[in-house]
Amino acid sequence: MTNINGKTYAMNAITPMKTWKTPLLRLVFFLLGHVPGLGNDLVNLSFIHFARWVIVPRDAFPRLAESQPEEHLHYDYLLFFSNFNGTWNQYIDAFSDVLSQGLNAIWIWSEKFPRARPVTLFKQYIALVQFDTDYYYTAYPRATTNDVKAAHRVSAAVEEFARESQGMSPSDFGGAYVRFLTKVQKDLGSTGIGPVGT
Amino acid sequence: MPNQSGSIYGLTILSPIIIDPKDLVCHATAIRDFLATLPHDHNSPFAKVSSTHMARLVVMDDVVFVGTPAREEHLESRYLVFETNFDGDLDTYLLSMARDAAHEVDSVWRHCVGYPGLRDPGAFVEYMKKCQINTTFFFADVNNKTVQQTLRALKVQASLADFIAANQGLPAAEIQAAFREFVESVRSAPDPLPAETPTDDGPYKMARKQHA
Repeated sequence: MTNINGKTYAMNAITPMKTWKTPLLRLVFFLLGHVPGLGNDLVNLSFIHFARWVIVPRDAFPRLAESQPEEHLHYDYLLFFSNFNGTWNQYIDAFSDVLSQGLNAIWIWSEKFPRARPVTLFKQYIALVQFDTDYYYTAYPRATTNDVKAAHRVSAAVEEFARESQGMSPSDFGGAYVRFLTKVQKDLGSTGIGPVGT
Repeated sequence: MPNQSGSIYGLTILSPIIIDPKDLVCHATAIRDFLATLPHDHNSPFAKVSSTHMARLVVMDDVVFVGTPAREEHLESRYLVFETNFDGDLDTYLLSMARDAAHEVDSVWRHCVGYPGLRDPGAFVEYMKKCQINTTFFFADVNNKTVQQTLRALKVQASLADFIAANQGLPAAEIQAAFREFVESVRSAPDPLPAETPTDDGPYKMARKQHA
């Protein structure tokens, strides 16, 4: 099991859905993707690098040879994959606190989903439907998603200041440099090894 | 397209794993055994496929029974789940996997039904597309930066903090000259390696050493 790499945790979950509910969930995702503002809470959480939901209809599991046994499933399945920063408990707590309505809208179509609040039952459900990662890679294991966003702001600010300060007198540069530092100071700090997670 | 968010592509693959009762070690276990040997740093196969932000390989043994009154059911096959988030288009990425991580790709997918091998990269691309499940909803927090842009930005961020500390309190003219050198060193530094473990002698420490 290797769910954790550096500061990022790879979560996998699978939940069964009655087939007649699948179109309703597709509608929810369509609205999430097309109605401005509906996904804001997910963005504002700011500790998820990448996440995805994948609906696998019961007859859509790939079958690539006659020798491969055919699946005979009663349910469609919802797969969920997330790449998040922090510990499992922090993640589920934050999801339950901030995104409970959104999570209910997505998972209420899955069998026996208890709703995102109270969190105890929600955690029990996630623990039941989660399965472990065998190999996990990240190109920037020492950086959280907030680190990544801050680094891009710093990088852009350095280039901007380099352009603006060309040809300045030393005294003008001194004032401009202080303003530059004031602008970037909240985004400085070093990345490194994350705390031990659960 | 749900598989894409900005410039990031979210690929989801389910490859059925071979079932052969005659094998001493089942293919799912063989995959897990091999995956356990793979490095996670810049020697990772996904570091060689350098447009990969994050990727995972998972053997999915079965679906989950959530309890009554839900119906209990089971998969007939195990599936290798490949979830990856990368820059650019699908064909280029899959061809890069076949070319740049051939040994690892072959060692994993040869345990899967219908895998054609890598002699014909086009056949591999077609095989992977047959195993692809379209993403229904994809979220990427930063969806307009490549891996290389992010690695470079993280280096700039770390080295700027060093630069500021090293030059604190110096006359403005000296800081100005040092900043010019710093910017030049940042721009001319070699591309950072994905998943690289930083060392004290990284390319951007130059400014600190020169001006300390």
